[in-house]
Amino acid sequence: MSAAASPAQPARRSRFLALSGTARAAALIGAALVLGLACMAIFAPQLSPYDPAERVGPPFSPPSPVHLLGTNDIGQDILSELIYGARVSLSVGVSAAALSTALGTVVGLLAGYYRRLEHWLMRLADIVLALPFLPLLIVLAAYVGRSLTNTVIIIGLLLWAGTARLIRSQTLALSQREFVLAAATVGCTRGRILRRHIWPHVTFLVISEFLRATTTVILLEVSLSFLGLGDPLQKSWGAMLYWAQARGAFLTPAWAWWVLPPGLSIGAVALGFALIGFALEEIVNPRLRNGNA
Amino acid sequence: MQASGESRGGRFLQYAAVLILAITLNFALPRLMPGNPLALLAGVDVGLLSADERAEIMAAAGLDQPLYKQYVGYWGDLLRGDLGYSYRQKRPIAEMLAQRLPWTLLLAGSALVLSTVLGSVLGALSAWRRASPLDTSLLWSMIGLNSLPSFWLGMLFIAVFAVRLGWLPAQGAVTPAAQLTGGQQALDIVRHAILPVLTLSLLSMPDLYLTVRYTLLDVIGEDFVRTATAKGLARSRILFGHVLPNAAPPIVTMAALRLGYAFGGSVVIETVFSYPGLGRLIFEAVGSRDYPVMQAAFLLFTVAVLLSNILADLLYRRLDPRLGGVHR
Repeated sequence: MSAAASPAQPARRSRFLALSGTARAAALIGAALVLGLACMAIFAPQLSPYDPAERVGPPFSPPSPVHLLGTNDIGQDILSELIYGARVSLSVGVSAAALSTALGTVVGLLAGYYRRLEHWLMRLADIVLALPFLPLLIVLAAYVGRSLTNTVIIIGLLLWAGTARLIRSQTLALSQREFVLAAATVGCTRGRILRRHIWPHVTFLVISEFLRATTTVILLEVSLSFLGLGDPLQKSWGAMLYWAQARGAFLTPAWAWWVLPPGLSIGAVALGFALIGFALEEIVNPRLRNGNA
Repeated sequence: MQASGESRGGRFLQYAAVLILAITLNFALPRLMPGNPLALLAGVDVGLLSADERAEIMAAAGLDQPLYKQYVGYWGDLLRGDLGYSYRQKRPIAEMLAQRLPWTLLLAGSALVLSTVLGSVLGALSAWRRASPLDTSLLWSMIGLNSLPSFWLGMLFIAVFAVRLGWLPAQGAVTPAAQLTGGQQALDIVRHAILPVLTLSLLSMPDLYLTVRYTLLDVIGEDFVRTATAKGLARSRILFGHVLPNAAPPIVTMAALRLGYAFGGSVVIETVFSYPGLGRLIFEAVGSRDYPVMQAAFLLFTVAVLLSNILADLLYRRLDPRLGGVHR
């Protein structure tokens, strides 16, 4: 967040070139991973050899030319399950992260700029942060029922508090700066200052928070599905691991084609978002790039 | 951590609010859901209950009374230590929790120690040799580790160390039906705990590593370290005399906060290893729709997280040189 940057249009191209070599590599690898998996999700019907919901072979078959990753306990093609699983991970990850980031940003901006709201909003954020996250998620998911929409809403509603804290402190710092004070002096309304003078300076932070949240959500969704709280009608990587666990696949040679691939896929997509976020953090916080910190 | 900026009273008010919210959620959830709350309060299908049991649950939850009276009664039960009864297991829930808690404490406690030691040592190494190949490779492996589902690592550990190599047991906390005593029994428990503890440690180590690395880099950049370097002090003297005391508070606070987090992580880890702790209890309760057990375990997790927060606050106050701790 350099002081000289024009608030209206940050120059993205030059910022990318200004990154250190490590960060640029991270951004490129991350983007490749995310784009690759996004293509897999979008073109799942064309890419997968079988319908993942159909029983297309004998159960527990090892890999063969017909079923490259074998079949599961009821004879469904594991490779097809794996390809369709990208849809759940990406859609839940992106939409729950968007919900939580939007909530956190609104709360953070309000708390940072309207001092009267600050106390209550931040107490609320502290309370949400202090609840045991995964157990609460499990209890809520068990009550509201297993569907993708419910998963997205629950995770989104529980995850915003960290983002709100971060955006609030950035807004607080910005609201003391000369250009904001000057805008207030010449009679800008508070809403206009928030939109025109503060918002452009927090956008990068918001994007970086969104990417961080996506990684978190993807791993949370997998954990929920693995505990049997995912949508029973959807093929997800977490659900694949749930059945692999329930059928003891990791005690047999089947772990190599039934347990390994979904885990690596989850790792790839989570890592992809994390790497883009890592590079972006260097833009947001130039202190990481040069200087001594 | 924002511990320094607030009064102790304010923090405790906040923790009280968290506890009240958790208890209120527990009270409200079964009653807010559509349909008959009886099944949710009992945790089994109403058809499976005898008429007596049904009347008993109705009376215990006060379902025939106005909502505020039910709420007051709910608090009364909790204050008396009555966490309810599992009609599925036919046992008081408090008894089930008491049986499971020690195993989770064993896992979470050992994992906390292991991940704090490993995370701090590796983080300090990274910070001290900033931008060296060692730093870069550590940083990248931690980012990678952070992107993997922890329970999946556990499954791989079982496949490799328990099944392939046969070094360690794959599941459970003790060898079933083995009449072991004394040292042999202790060894048996340790052997069963190694893989879950390792998995749980790997889950929380990257965050600790990143905190230690970042905090140390921050402190190394401070003027007093530059002064110490200019004075010609030995590197080890600077590290132990100047850097570590100033970097300790956030690191120790982070470690204490991790305790609550490790508790939460135990849900998936204990499920993978069929480890008979609280986390596995939640999983079993979810599977059998035993809502009262699920909620009681959630409450216990909340208390654990709050206790670790309080511990973090106390440690922060003692350690921060700027807050006038005793050792300055």
